[in-house]
Amino acid sequence: MKNYTTKEKITFLWKNMEGVRPLYILGLTGTVCYCALQLVVPYFSGRLVDTYLSGENAAENLAADRDGFFMLIALMVGLTIFRCIITYLDCMAYEFVSQETLYRIRNYLYDKIQRQDMTFYSTYRTGDLMTRMTGDLDAVRHMIAWVIRVIVESFSLYLSVAVYFFMMNPLMAISLLVISPLVFLVIVRFKNRVAPMHASLREKLAQMNSYAQENIAGNRVVKAFAREDHEKEKFDGANSDYRDTNIKTALVWQHYFPYMESFANLMPVVMLLVGGLFLIQGSLSMGEYVAFSGLIWAIANPMRMLGNIMNEFQRFSAAATKVMEIYFSEAIIKDKEDAKSHEEPFRGRIEFKNVSFRYFDGNLPVLYDVSFVAEPGETVAIMGETGCGKSSLIHLIPRFYEPTSGEVLIDGVDIRDYKLKDLRCHIGLATQDVLLYSDTIEGNIAYGDPHISHEVVVKYARYSSASDFIAHMPEGYETIVGERGVGLSGGQKQRISLARALAVKPSILILDDTTSAVDMETEKEIQQHLSELDFDCTKIIIAQRISTTKYADRILILKDGRITESGTYDELLAKKGYFYDLVRLQTGA
Amino acid sequence: MRMAKNTYKTDEELDKPFSVKSLKRAFVYIKRYSGRMALALILSAIGAAVGYLAPMVTQNALDVAIPQGNVTMLLELVVLVAVLYALSILFFTVRQHIMVRVSQGIIYDIRKDLFAHLQKLPFSYYDSRPHGKILIRVVNYVNSVSDMLSNGLISIILEGFNLIFIIIFMFVVDVQLAGVVMCGVPVLAVFMFWIKNRQRKAWQVVSNKNSNLNAYLQENIVGARITQIFAREDENARIFEGLSKECRDSWTVAVRYSNLVWPGIDTISVCVRAAIFLFGILLFGAGNKSLGTIVAISGYASYFWQPIMNLGNIFNNFINNIAYLERIFETMDEPVEVDDAPDAHELAAIRGRVEFRNVSFSYEDDVEVLHDVSFTVEPGESVALVGPTGAGKSTIVNLISRFYDVDKGQILIDGDDISKVTLSSLRSQMGIMLQDSFIFTGTIEDNIRYGRLDATRDEIERVSEVVRAHEFISSMENGYDTVVTERGSSLSQGQRQLIAFARTLLSDPSILVLDEATSSIDVQTETALQQGLNAMLKGRTSFIIAHRLSTVRECDKIMYIDAGGIREMGTHKELLAKHGLYYDLYNAQID
Repeated sequence: MKNYTTKEKITFLWKNMEGVRPLYILGLTGTVCYCALQLVVPYFSGRLVDTYLSGENAAENLAADRDGFFMLIALMVGLTIFRCIITYLDCMAYEFVSQETLYRIRNYLYDKIQRQDMTFYSTYRTGDLMTRMTGDLDAVRHMIAWVIRVIVESFSLYLSVAVYFFMMNPLMAISLLVISPLVFLVIVRFKNRVAPMHASLREKLAQMNSYAQENIAGNRVVKAFAREDHEKEKFDGANSDYRDTNIKTALVWQHYFPYMESFANLMPVVMLLVGGLFLIQGSLSMGEYVAFSGLIWAIANPMRMLGNIMNEFQRFSAAATKVMEIYFSEAIIKDKEDAKSHEEPFRGRIEFKNVSFRYFDGNLPVLYDVSFVAEPGETVAIMGETGCGKSSLIHLIPRFYEPTSGEVLIDGVDIRDYKLKDLRCHIGLATQDVLLYSDTIEGNIAYGDPHISHEVVVKYARYSSASDFIAHMPEGYETIVGERGVGLSGGQKQRISLARALAVKPSILILDDTTSAVDMETEKEIQQHLSELDFDCTKIIIAQRISTTKYADRILILKDGRITESGTYDELLAKKGYFYDLVRLQTGA
Repeated sequence: MRMAKNTYKTDEELDKPFSVKSLKRAFVYIKRYSGRMALALILSAIGAAVGYLAPMVTQNALDVAIPQGNVTMLLELVVLVAVLYALSILFFTVRQHIMVRVSQGIIYDIRKDLFAHLQKLPFSYYDSRPHGKILIRVVNYVNSVSDMLSNGLISIILEGFNLIFIIIFMFVVDVQLAGVVMCGVPVLAVFMFWIKNRQRKAWQVVSNKNSNLNAYLQENIVGARITQIFAREDENARIFEGLSKECRDSWTVAVRYSNLVWPGIDTISVCVRAAIFLFGILLFGAGNKSLGTIVAISGYASYFWQPIMNLGNIFNNFINNIAYLERIFETMDEPVEVDDAPDAHELAAIRGRVEFRNVSFSYEDDVEVLHDVSFTVEPGESVALVGPTGAGKSTIVNLISRFYDVDKGQILIDGDDISKVTLSSLRSQMGIMLQDSFIFTGTIEDNIRYGRLDATRDEIERVSEVVRAHEFISSMENGYDTVVTERGSSLSQGQRQLIAFARTLLSDPSILVLDEATSSIDVQTETALQQGLNAMLKGRTSFIIAHRLSTVRECDKIMYIDAGGIREMGTHKELLAKHGLYYDLYNAQID
């Protein structure tokens, strides 16, 4: 994993603040303003008390100069309200900028993730990606909305008071401020220890997230095996790990906290000591002493905040690394620079030319030197044992994976020369592992083209023999199905997924064992419909059942990644090979 | 068929209005740490008291030591102040050490209970909402409430005491001016009341929008392949942007109220101070009130408003997070539909007689899926369930495993009503292989071992040989130690099924339930698998749902399920001879 420097992380934020940068700078300026006002208001209220209430000639002043008295009260109230308004607007500006930036990064990341190839999805667990999109992004938001603001706040308070102190009494100022640099020694040590803690804390969160996510997704398996206690135990591991790391991280902070707090509290002590001595000596007036001690908090508080800031900054830093890793990741499978547009449908000629393929994480090739052609409008069936490479083969057509050697051509053009979008939008694929979305049945069928009319949806539901059972549902096409379509039986899900693939009117239709859970009669019906589609398409069908392959123009038998038999139903029967055995087995003949 | 209630597009409505009950429940979690929290509270109080002493000593130095020019006394007092501060830091640090553990402990406990409850919830719970919405509660929401329940509470108590002391002090000094200070309180109350409802609603919207976004995100990560094959990226990005925008906007609205609290209190406080000056001097007359009293009261007024501002911050935090707390408790309150009866007993070792007695069942109130179904299966028999999709085959096997409770009638195993035995004793003796062969992230070995946690590597390999998975597993580079992921790995669907099959067999079930367990496996592998299986499961009862008649043919009994009941039952030969539904089905596959 790439490690980004702090500078790169900040640059990353700045880049994503485009459009709201002026507002952010205005916000930072606003922070300086309200900090200044925070110093000015006590000055006026101090003068009010000194002149009219507690000073030597207070009673006379009050009697003589009522207007001045009212004036100061008005100033005190007015400036405070003014400060409150600025503070409020300033906070809102930070919130706005941070939300806007978050919005931009989040959308970009989402788009990045959804365009990644399968290698990416094998590498990153769902829970880990979810953590990046929620917890990590929130740490980034917090950086913009809070951490940077507090940094500016602390420094402007500290600096303005430091300058004011120097103007009043340089010697006194130096004796107070000389301690400050020591704070940085502590801070650096703290940073070195806490940075790895935040990285590990963030890992533990992702682990817990992944763990919970899989438990939720696999809830049926958990129940089937009555493994609730085992799951609780496993989750408890992740949960207590997270707790312990949290405690450890907090304790690192607690370890340095007393030092930081001591430095901050040293201020009033030094004030009393040095100030007291100076007073006795006469090199400091009582008025100056009161002014110093009235503003000492503005020196002490920033020192106090520094540890907190560093802690939050390290949290941001750990999270930003994770966010940027995805942000700057590149899919391996993407459009070539000179990729061709192809908006019109394909004619549908598919050719595999000496295609070999191996998964990135596997050592053995899955396909060896596969060559075949499907002419436009033809139906090619692929059969073979579990794990022989059928699904891998068809996944090469929409470029889910790239062949290790050889090429796949559509209409005579290497598919790598097409734009991915154009290639895929003319391919209809119904996989065996059906995934529906938590949406209405209609929404699911119209997934590939959300703008098709209800009539068209019904038409394709009919083609896939789904219209009957859909019509029987209480809310028909408006029925909401759960994620992964869990409210439906396996066969029903498969038929919806088939309708979804048909609804895009693909010029190439790929069915990956799409009817395995459908009963025989319905399957026969579907076969019939598929031969009567109202658009032209080449069909590649993976099937286990002989009956499914009956209508195929050609049947390919795949064994250990190689095509071992190829021909029509009758030709293959005559060969008395794998296919022949299969037919005998299935029909019991 | 139970249908989903919620999608990424729909906000979840909170069933209950906010009540003090949520808080009372939160106290259950706080109570466990009450000893340590009390200690932390005492430490804080002492620390604060010591902290207050320091300015008094400083005052003493200014009033006595310095005017006298007494350097020794000054030094003594400086040391005293330093010691007081050091003590205060010490107390506070110890308190923090305690509270770090308490607050992490509280969220650990809540998360643990929430997760445990989720394990008990029925399928329908998971089926009726996007998984991302469940996930966000377990992880993100729980994280949000920790501070509020631990440090928040201590601060409320401390600041509360602070406030009471100051009020008493003010009234001792001057009743009338104290009254002026207190005048700000009703204004504040009205302000807070006005803001509270809006704020709470606004944060509920935020939590809803975040939940929607999470749901959509999770679905799309899981379904990335579908998105890509339909080239829907642009459309999805548009939808995501919409959801993302709602999150952004709802947040900006919510902070509009939250950020108002602090400046609001600040403004009221400065007005009160001004009022003290004005009232003190103008109305009561300069002669009436000594100027000293006015200064003192105005000093207390700022002491009075400081804890209120702190309380305002806590209140803010509280309102923001109560929305999350409500969601967490809502999940914990989800009814556990199927649970052990109070007097449930352990089911003895199953011999395998399964009986349905007049069983009726519906997922939703009005649509009966099974009506008055009765049958008996003798130990060791294998039963095939066939029939159209959606006819209720899966329902029957789900009822045997008690994933749902019957509406009417009884299901008995070896004469024992399954609703009277413990769920774990029932299910741990059954091997249930569902349509969805879910694989957990981990090694292949771990995935198979899920069936029986104490199985040895040898046993795992043996069972894999039986289901014909051994060959492909051992041909992989890392064999059984190959790490597979939930989705997106290089295992084919058929291979996943074989692993799931091995997992089920490893559990050495007395009753085996196969729901479309071999649909993605080729017929030859299946035939080989079947032979091994038959040898292994001799004498055990099995229920098999399959469409492939080659799988069905060999079973002792075949039930044709349709229209809520058993339409035909008998052996393959008997049913063929009948020339009924099964006969038609069989012929459909043959020709």
